[in-house]
Amino acid sequence: MADRTAASRRGLSEEVAGAGGHQIVERVPSDRQWLWRLISFAVVFGGWEIAGRIPVSPSFPTFSATIVALGEMLLDGTLAGAYAETVQPLILGMLLCSVMAVLFGVGMGLSRTVEWFSLPIFIILQAAPMAALIPLITFLYGIGLTAKVVAVMLMSAPIIVLNSYKGIRNTSPSLLDMSRSFMATRRQQIVKIILPSASGLIFAGLRLGVAAGVTGVVLAELLITPTGVGDLITYYRSVAEYPHMFASILSIIIFSSVAVTLLQRAETALFRPET
Amino acid sequence: MRNLSKLTFQFLMPAAMILAVAGEAGAQDDMTARIALGDIASVETLNLLIALEHAKERGVDIELTAFKSEDIANQAVVNGQADIGVGVPYPVIQKVDAPIRMFYRLSELRFFPVVDKKYESWEDLDGEEIAVHSRGSGTEAAANIMADKHGITYKNISYVPGSEVRALALLNDSVDATFLDIANTDFVMAKAPGEFHLLPMGDLEGTDEALFARTDWLDENQETVQILIEELLKVTRAINEDPGYVAAERERLGLLADLPEDLAAEIQPYFEQAVEAQLFPQNGGSAEGVKADFDFYTAAGQLEGSPEELKVEDFWYLEPLEKAQAAVGG
Repeated sequence: MADRTAASRRGLSEEVAGAGGHQIVERVPSDRQWLWRLISFAVVFGGWEIAGRIPVSPSFPTFSATIVALGEMLLDGTLAGAYAETVQPLILGMLLCSVMAVLFGVGMGLSRTVEWFSLPIFIILQAAPMAALIPLITFLYGIGLTAKVVAVMLMSAPIIVLNSYKGIRNTSPSLLDMSRSFMATRRQQIVKIILPSASGLIFAGLRLGVAAGVTGVVLAELLITPTGVGDLITYYRSVAEYPHMFASILSIIIFSSVAVTLLQRAETALFRPET
Repeated sequence: MRNLSKLTFQFLMPAAMILAVAGEAGAQDDMTARIALGDIASVETLNLLIALEHAKERGVDIELTAFKSEDIANQAVVNGQADIGVGVPYPVIQKVDAPIRMFYRLSELRFFPVVDKKYESWEDLDGEEIAVHSRGSGTEAAANIMADKHGITYKNISYVPGSEVRALALLNDSVDATFLDIANTDFVMAKAPGEFHLLPMGDLEGTDEALFARTDWLDENQETVQILIEELLKVTRAINEDPGYVAAERERLGLLADLPEDLAAEIQPYFEQAVEAQLFPQNGGSAEGVKADFDFYTAAGQLEGSPEELKVEDFWYLEPLEKAQAAVGG
């Protein structure tokens, strides 16, 4: 703690100083972090701009043309309208999936029977190429909202379940020993030791699950019926408006990154205000 | 200085000559054509497959690749991984100035508006829902053109990609009016006899599928292009004269050998209907036909600007077709 305070005072990055003085990476003042991040973006976007200007393909737009298209789509409400459609199956799928998958993962972590019964299924689901399975969903659920919700759940459930399960199993044995020596009941062990200890991995699973869910909904919109942002990509590709098509794809990356970051912030604010 | 001249003469000149010869060789027609299909080869592509086999017999080395979608096949041609594509790449030519030109009209635009029998005419679809392939698609343009022509307004245009998916949606009562292709129209009519019928489309002309290639490839491979077009013209005329030609030629050439029997049985009726609907143009296209394309594809939103101001030569390269027409005659 003393290390961290001292480090913060010196303006050093938390990740570096937080490990009890054991330094793995070199110390970098926090103001330089931004510089390096900016340089990283500049390299990627600069490379994109150059590739578009050569051009590597007549259909590949420059970064600047893509940003102009993104601005247009933001201003005329095209993106807002598309995302209003895309988030419906995403939110529904994630709500259903988060509750069920966390419960399942926790159940697997706490009970051997549940673990033996379900672990192979989720490991297979995680390893399976989901993009290839999504068109098959239409055979069971047709082409409507249900199919898209199922696509979101199929993509995100294995990650959330397996993370929750690992979180429970990684509870420190010494903490459990301590709770036993204090005569804690099983219920107290779960509520006061196991779940708080597992919450980090459970939330990491939820964040990864949201990112996978976004992939699922976009795949469903591209492969099942073109709605929302999937429709934008399909439409702009069919009329060869490539800057708009790339802008739609870029918007998904931004949307997914913002959603994951917001979830991380919410987790910190609600469950770990001390950090 | 003298040494430098000697060096130039001894080494650089032969090198330059080799490069020049290599360049010349690269520009020569090597009698190969890498063809990119936007879908897997099926009964509906048999006319093209037969013509390609005939071209092979005349010495053209053909490499056929099926891509997942027409857009991807188009990109393969634009980027030089394939030589000839199948489709109507008007927007790619106009909007990104891709150096490609269409050179043969493979099939005509034909729409089959299959509707529930409760709709007796287009006027009955006023205030009703209609399903089309996708935004900016030919079926959407056809729906809008018919709405304008008959002074009606749809309640909603829904997008359901895939003719087979829309056929199932019709049979499941999810939609009551949509556009299908020939094969799926037959399928629906056979599955639910008496429940659906076709509305008249009137005279709507345009290219449904064309062959296209990069302009440099067209220039460098004139003989290959000539042979391909000649064989396409001959096969098209043979089919238009006798639709049974396709099944017989497929048998003779051993094409689509793994086609299941029930699908093989559809070859004859499919081509009979296609010929009846005048799907395959007898002359492989013309400048007038391209102008009809401009009207239709501008209405579809695929082309921008006034159709009268668009130039045929900016999109089509008709010279090899005219030569082939002269060679084949008729």
